[in-house]
Amino acid sequence: MNPFISITLLTTLILSTTIVTISSHWLFAWIGLEMNMMAIIPIMMKKPNPRATEASAKYFLTQTTASSLLMLAIIINLMHSSQWTIMKLFDPTASILMTMALAIKLGLSPFHFWVPEVTQGIPLSTGLILLTWQKLAPISILYQISPSINLHLMITMSFLSILIGGWGGLNQTQLRKIMAYSSIAHMGWMTTILLYNPTLTLLNLLIYIVMTFTMFMLLIQNSTTTTLLLSQTWNTVPIMTTFTMLTLLSMGGLPPLTGFMPKWMIIQELTKNKTLILPTLMAITALLNLYFYMRLTYSTALTLFPSTNNMKMKWQFYPTKQMTLLPTAIVLSTMLLPLTPAFFILL
Amino acid sequence: MLKFIIPTIMLMPLTWLSKSNFIWINTTTHSLLISFTSLLLLNQFNDNSLNYSLMFFSDPLSAPLLMLTMWLLPLMLMASQSHLLKEPLARKKLYITMLVMLQVLLIMTFTAMELIMFYIMFEATLIPTLIIITRWGNQTERLNAGLYFLFYTLMGSLPLLVALTYLQNTVGSLNFLLLQYWAQPLSTSWSNTFMWLACMMAFLVKMPLYGLHLWLPKAHVEAPIAGSMVLAAVLLKLGGYGMLRITSILNPLTEHMAYPFLVLSLWGMIMTSSICLRQTDLKSLIAYSSISHMALIIAAVLIQTPWSYMGATALMIAHGLTSSMLFCLANSNYERIHSRTMILARGLQIFFPLMATWWLLACLTNLALPPTINLIGELLVIMSTFSWSNLTIILMGVNIVITALYSLYMLIMTQRGKHTHHINNLTPTFTREHALMALHIIPLLLLSLNPKIILGPLY
Repeated sequence: MNPFISITLLTTLILSTTIVTISSHWLFAWIGLEMNMMAIIPIMMKKPNPRATEASAKYFLTQTTASSLLMLAIIINLMHSSQWTIMKLFDPTASILMTMALAIKLGLSPFHFWVPEVTQGIPLSTGLILLTWQKLAPISILYQISPSINLHLMITMSFLSILIGGWGGLNQTQLRKIMAYSSIAHMGWMTTILLYNPTLTLLNLLIYIVMTFTMFMLLIQNSTTTTLLLSQTWNTVPIMTTFTMLTLLSMGGLPPLTGFMPKWMIIQELTKNKTLILPTLMAITALLNLYFYMRLTYSTALTLFPSTNNMKMKWQFYPTKQMTLLPTAIVLSTMLLPLTPAFFILL
Repeated sequence: MLKFIIPTIMLMPLTWLSKSNFIWINTTTHSLLISFTSLLLLNQFNDNSLNYSLMFFSDPLSAPLLMLTMWLLPLMLMASQSHLLKEPLARKKLYITMLVMLQVLLIMTFTAMELIMFYIMFEATLIPTLIIITRWGNQTERLNAGLYFLFYTLMGSLPLLVALTYLQNTVGSLNFLLLQYWAQPLSTSWSNTFMWLACMMAFLVKMPLYGLHLWLPKAHVEAPIAGSMVLAAVLLKLGGYGMLRITSILNPLTEHMAYPFLVLSLWGMIMTSSICLRQTDLKSLIAYSSISHMALIIAAVLIQTPWSYMGATALMIAHGLTSSMLFCLANSNYERIHSRTMILARGLQIFFPLMATWWLLACLTNLALPPTINLIGELLVIMSTFSWSNLTIILMGVNIVITALYSLYMLIMTQRGKHTHHINNLTPTFTREHALMALHIIPLLLLSLNPKIILGPLY
């Protein structure tokens, strides 16, 4: 893509999320979300193939629906409270509509259907932006309206997300779809705790972004998009197998890796509010996620996956992909657990 | 406690920076030296514990287990030398790093003062063990074994996390020393029942209890020798240690809740011993014998009498050393004939007489011959279960007979009788193997001279 266009689009992307997070007027938040969608559609079409076209079209349709619902919720809120300030909503209808609109934007169940297909159709780096940066804006709005969100709706959607994220990923071999289902499940964990302690939503989002960033960077390095290709990383960069394994186990939530921290904190907050069945079921359902991460770990690091003999003798090219911040990200996504108390001061 | 943790962590740079002909010597020697420092823990007060810091403490219950863990690392390193011989240097160092990491996590588990720290370290021991089983195991079934191992343990322990956070919120602190005094008696209600289940299931799966034991034969059989040793000797005892710690706060609900698990463990003890008589796979036999011994420990912990706690603690140490030794012996067979089938190498006494001595001693301690500590443990458990219910004496008696049967069956099948024709070209035994067996059996025999150090806090 022409570098000028690329810079314009990326700047618009960053600007749009910034607008959403810092605005105090509902119209500007909505404008920010629209700019966000507009900016990422050309980025998704970086490599024009029918898959990317389909992915962009699906993304466009779902996101515009969500934005329209959001606008409707804003107007209903205006009708009942006669002001446009972003704070808790004053009408249950507005609250439910806005929650559903933001759920469509995030990819929470039962509005999760677009996430795997869109993630599959776009290149890996765009997928990274989709699953990490695009979550910031809706979560910031959810954080601000969190006192007025309907508890039953939120818990239903988030628990359903955790279930779907677990079960949906089980039959996948395409890594982008696996990351999409992992994103759905993590969004479920994040939104569960939104009504009890929104700080933990931000903590979970931060840790999730670091882990997903690490995972995508590891995938981008070898342009691996399938399990089969991932199983051949031992041939090109053997140490990446170890890092892939550690990052995947961290995403599965195994102590003593970082990924355990948000789950532990969320379980702690939920038990403080005396909801004991929900965190138990959530924790057990997260094991489904761990199962397909384990399958990836097995094929990557712990076994020599069956492949043809030609595949075992790959050309050793000089690395051309830019690995921004990969060592930092790997360390952050595996060794951050002892620093748990520090996050509460930061957030 | 840092005097154990930091040297053990430093074993990792030692491994990576050693020359290729020195890695085994360096790591074995240094881990042996570290294990000698653990003898400092023998200075225990019987009515109190040694508190090293806000995070670590040592107790007459955890001190013998810690000594066992630290004693086992040099033994594991000695046992692994042969099967790693052909591997590239980096992979040897990686294997040793896994073992050392596991050791660090186990030390921190056994000395953890806060129950959440115990939980995190308990779960953290799963990762190096999983890597050892699936990466360095020998058959294709190791993948399934790793999955069973990981998921059985995690399914049991995630409710434990929820229960521990709930306890933290109600009692105020999960510091073990405070918890003993602050815990409220639990009444028999549905929510308390579920909390009891949530607390105990993690340890019952780890022990394992008879109905939840499917992971153990798979994991033990498919793991390489060091993996089998550490699994049988230490990781199962994590479950026992956890149960002993957590039952102190679950009174008096345990009296009501323990019935189904007592029945399962008593019945499972006999079932798994009987299955041992029908095994063709040597490691599988030892794995099922582990389940049988651990079922005794579960029964002992659940009836909560002073003698049963002493028996459970003694049995844990005794079984740790015995089954680790049995796995080493089975491995010495495996390395020669590359098969775990028992009948393929029979009559070994003629070819390897000294090894036959170790086989004899291991089988005798496995069947709890007096005056070994195995007997002390089993006897205390049998007497205390008799006091709980007179009928258990029948089950215990049957179990002792069947244990004797399969231990002698294993001995006679591998050592005595006519040798098979194809084994006349087996490599003679190495001094390393004899040293390994001796280092297993000597602590076991010496402990029978002074068993009070392993009888736990209630002695």
